[in-house]
Amino acid sequence: MKILDANVAPLTNFEVLDFLRSKGASKDPSRVIAKVAMSEYKVYDYLVNTSANVQTREDIAEYLSGIKLHDLSEAEILNIVNIRPAAVVEIYPIIEECPDRFPDEEVTEIVELVEKTLPTVTINETAVENTEGDEETDTQAHENGNVSQEKTEGEEPMDTS
Amino acid sequence: MFYLSKIEHKLTLPPYLLTLPIREAILSELERLFLDKVIAKLGLCISVYDIISIKGGSVFPGDGAPTYLAVFNLIMFRPFTGDIITAKLIRSDANGLRLSLGFFDDIYIPKHHMPDPSHYVSTTSTSKTGTWYWDYGEESFAIGDSEEIKFAV
Repeated sequence: MKILDANVAPLTNFEVLDFLRSKGASKDPSRVIAKVAMSEYKVYDYLVNTSANVQTREDIAEYLSGIKLHDLSEAEILNIVNIRPAAVVEIYPIIEECPDRFPDEEVTEIVELVEKTLPTVTINETAVENTEGDEETDTQAHENGNVSQEKTEGEEPMDTS
Repeated sequence: MFYLSKIEHKLTLPPYLLTLPIREAILSELERLFLDKVIAKLGLCISVYDIISIKGGSVFPGDGAPTYLAVFNLIMFRPFTGDIITAKLIRSDANGLRLSLGFFDDIYIPKHHMPDPSHYVSTTSTSKTGTWYWDYGEESFAIGDSEEIKFAV
């Protein structure tokens, strides 16, 4: 086996999810029929519960044209698409040396761009929100991919770097 | 997190696959060889993205299987330092946390990498597992069972 190019291109979670879907992966229980292997299904299950589930190519293209105005590295741009930060505090672990490189207004601008272009995941209305200590658990998204205007409050990102 | 890698590999096609059209047969053999396996310097192979070229098809004497030289793209899972990933908690003990991504279970957060300050409480005096709490200001937030945790590699 010879590695011709270890790094042809980085892929967003959306692209991997799209590829698995085009292979035939889906949420429904009759999984034996599609030509998708068990290990691929595990990746599919993981990705379906992230915001990649409700993104579209147009959203990502829009986001990419907007983010060019800010000086972010490719890894940071990719991370933002995958994580979809909803608040300024979520940007800090993603962007290295954030306070040094960007003034606060620019960080807010980036968050607004994310809000505008990338859709959020809807929260199940029947979920019980645990508001003790301001922590909220991320609950199951609706399968029909409804794009809702509600903000999803993720839990405090644990920066264990 | 996910990358595309271009690989060239010489593979033999076992006779039971010879009834299939060649592309499908090669795809099936590549999946058997690479899927869900960790490759050095590349990461965990998630999927075969596409096949770029197939050459060869010669049969060596004494062998029932034709040999092909295939060039193809693989989707690899390869987190880099600084990558932020959301995972589920599967185990919490005195040494730290263990997280899972569904397809990949070997994620450990040792206790010196827990958010600072935090402390650990064992569930019973003899138990090996327990709960970690994050002390922020005056309150302690429990890192509870099967919650989603974002961590930086």
